[in-house]
Amino acid sequence: MKKIFTGIGAKISDWLRDTIGIFNAELKSVLHDEGVMVILIIAGFCYPLLYNIIYSHGTLDDIRVVVVDDSHSTESRRLTREMDATREIEIIGECMNMEEAKLLMQKRKANGIVYFPSDFNIQLNNYRTATFSVYADMSSFLYFKSLLMGANFVMLHNVRSLQIEHYSEFGMTGKEASLVAQPILYQENNPFNPTFSYSIFLISAILLLIVQQCMFIAMSISVGTKREQNKNFSSLSEEFSGKGVTRVVFGRGAVYWLIFMVISIYISYIVPHIFGFPQRGTFWNLYVLIILFVTDCVFFSMVWSSFIMKREAVFILFMFMSPVLLFLTGFSWPVTAFPPFWKYFSYLFPSTFGCKAFIDINTAGADLMAVQPQIHALVIQTIGYSILACCSMYIENFVLKYKGNIDKVKKNIENMVIIRGQDIDD
Amino acid sequence: METFRKIKLIYRRELVVWAKRPMYIIGTILALAFCTIFYTTFLAEGVPSDVPIGVVDLDNSSVSRNFVSQLDATQLGKTIRFNTFSDAREILQRGKITSIIVIPEGFYADLQGFRQPTFTFYINGLYFLGGSLAYKDLLLMVNLTSGAVQRQVLRAKGYDDATIMGIIKPVEVDVHQIGNPTMNYGSYLATMMIPGVLQMIVILMIIYSLGTELKYGGSRKLMELADGNIVTALLGKLFFYTIFFTVIGGLIEILFFRWLHYPMDGRLINMFWDVFLLVIASEAVAVLIIGLVPVLRFSLSVGSLYSVLGFSLTGFTLPIEVLDGPFQAMSYMFPLRHYYLIYVQEYMFNSGFAGWWPEAVYMLLFLFAPIVILPRLKRAYILQDYSKN
Repeated sequence: MKKIFTGIGAKISDWLRDTIGIFNAELKSVLHDEGVMVILIIAGFCYPLLYNIIYSHGTLDDIRVVVVDDSHSTESRRLTREMDATREIEIIGECMNMEEAKLLMQKRKANGIVYFPSDFNIQLNNYRTATFSVYADMSSFLYFKSLLMGANFVMLHNVRSLQIEHYSEFGMTGKEASLVAQPILYQENNPFNPTFSYSIFLISAILLLIVQQCMFIAMSISVGTKREQNKNFSSLSEEFSGKGVTRVVFGRGAVYWLIFMVISIYISYIVPHIFGFPQRGTFWNLYVLIILFVTDCVFFSMVWSSFIMKREAVFILFMFMSPVLLFLTGFSWPVTAFPPFWKYFSYLFPSTFGCKAFIDINTAGADLMAVQPQIHALVIQTIGYSILACCSMYIENFVLKYKGNIDKVKKNIENMVIIRGQDIDD
Repeated sequence: METFRKIKLIYRRELVVWAKRPMYIIGTILALAFCTIFYTTFLAEGVPSDVPIGVVDLDNSSVSRNFVSQLDATQLGKTIRFNTFSDAREILQRGKITSIIVIPEGFYADLQGFRQPTFTFYINGLYFLGGSLAYKDLLLMVNLTSGAVQRQVLRAKGYDDATIMGIIKPVEVDVHQIGNPTMNYGSYLATMMIPGVLQMIVILMIIYSLGTELKYGGSRKLMELADGNIVTALLGKLFFYTIFFTVIGGLIEILFFRWLHYPMDGRLINMFWDVFLLVIASEAVAVLIIGLVPVLRFSLSVGSLYSVLGFSLTGFTLPIEVLDGPFQAMSYMFPLRHYYLIYVQEYMFNSGFAGWWPEAVYMLLFLFAPIVILPRLKRAYILQDYSKN
């Protein structure tokens, strides 16, 4: 019995010693690799800052709008003034006709047109619906959104006041009229992003994606380098004989895990803090998410980087995936509208779940219970990718060993030929 | 004549490299094909439908139920019922629903008694598109309901329907979307994301192609073929890529505007010019980068960081005027920005050359940028004195 325990004890200490050895070797190679360090420093530390600086203002206020007023009435002028007063719209001038206005839009001097038809005030005074038109520049949907919000606000406001006016004319008292004009009130709340800021929406989704992409690129560069140097990236030494894959996976993984835990906490906690970005989650909830996410990313990167043969290949082969992955987090196009294939495809990436959980925890203030589906998915992914990572190590070694055998056989044949040749010569 | 012969030689040499290394094919054709398929199918629906809207109906009267079923029937919204507000709020926080509408207790009674019951909306603005669409839908439904109540009152007072209409809706906004009448989100994003990927791939591929000469020591041979003239060497190498990427870019434009029928007021031939200018300007940027840092992996890192920024600084999502001054200026340093401005002129206004020639000049100016680094690149190509890793 005692023997068995000491046997197991010895095995565990062997395992630990090997793992630590591999950890040290990998750490040294990462720190000495300038290419990896450039990615870690520039992309890991500077990119999150840069994005925050670029997107420091997130709302499109005062878009430039021109007016074409064919009605020349007090009503149309009042509406114009009211639109100018909204946060969204700035009336920059009046044009004689639509052609002139469109030309201004084409010259990028205006991003919206408001048009009052000649019968606008006549309709209004005859109790008929008076229609005015807005023309939005669709080169960016945000122009449209701002113009529509501004115009709608003014329209609704006028609807109310005109209705009250009309009802008073019908003999209702002021109080009565306003009750009939507005039988239902509404109150709107946008608790997580009160101004509909583009920055809050984009940066919430992008921060953890930077972590995943940096780690994947860094690991791919390191694998490519080892392959170019004709070394085996799994660095499994002879005596393991295929059984030591877990030592390599955990030894190598621990290096990236430690480095990226630091980077992730910087990106997900310190950077938002520097820029006064909403941080509604508790640190510990965030911390648990980061641990799971970084662990998942380590195994994810390990599996996919094993396809990289050359040092630079990752830039050529996978760089274009970054914006694709951003869309797959569902931050913009709603997940409910994903085509089924892309929905399942998105399940391959830690960012799909990590970014979503980050948005919910950090920016919407959810707790871990609320992001349970994402947490489960990250755990399942981690298990899956860790098994695949072990498999890829095993295959790598198997191929190398097999390759070694072929080389040996080749050499033997060559030797035999030489020996035979010598025989004949003799 | 002699120069043409040399360019032809270098061009043939490049073809051989392509045939030998699968990375070139995977990195260009497959990457672009994947992105094209992704952006055109992922957003194929154009406008999202059935956006989930949470409903907390505390009244549960015939009127409130009717309101909910009408909200559900809109193309955009799909309602999900919750018993309590806290349940709904939790789901809103998880982003599973984009908004909540709370119908207060006693809604029907208050409505009948003209006591102005209040609907409360909650929107999750972290899901920009879904959130703002749901908000629009909710607002529309509330105003329609208000209108319905007023109609009843006015009918009871004996007004005819035409007058009633004029009173309920004294002012109306008629919205026109110039350049994208159906508000197709798919065509809006795909037509810029895919050229953005093209810019990225051109830059990375040219850096890779020019950098591998240094890394694998082929550059001396290349300079020999070019008779020591760096311009000839570059022309020979870039000749093939220019044709290759322009043809692929052209096919993408045909896909957009002929096969998928994305909105386009202008002429396809002008979009070919646009994509050609994008390709050559991006190539010039790539030559500049490899000339500044003649170490393959460094210049690839720089190229990656640059081309990822290109998406943000083009202004097709968040308009450039929102950014701070220095970033507005920086946007000029990206060929994609000029591609976008030409595209806008063409597809929205059918302006033709007269409308976008200044942008074309900007794109051509990119070609002068590498001149300053040519001597440096030449030295690196001959001496091969930079780190190879």
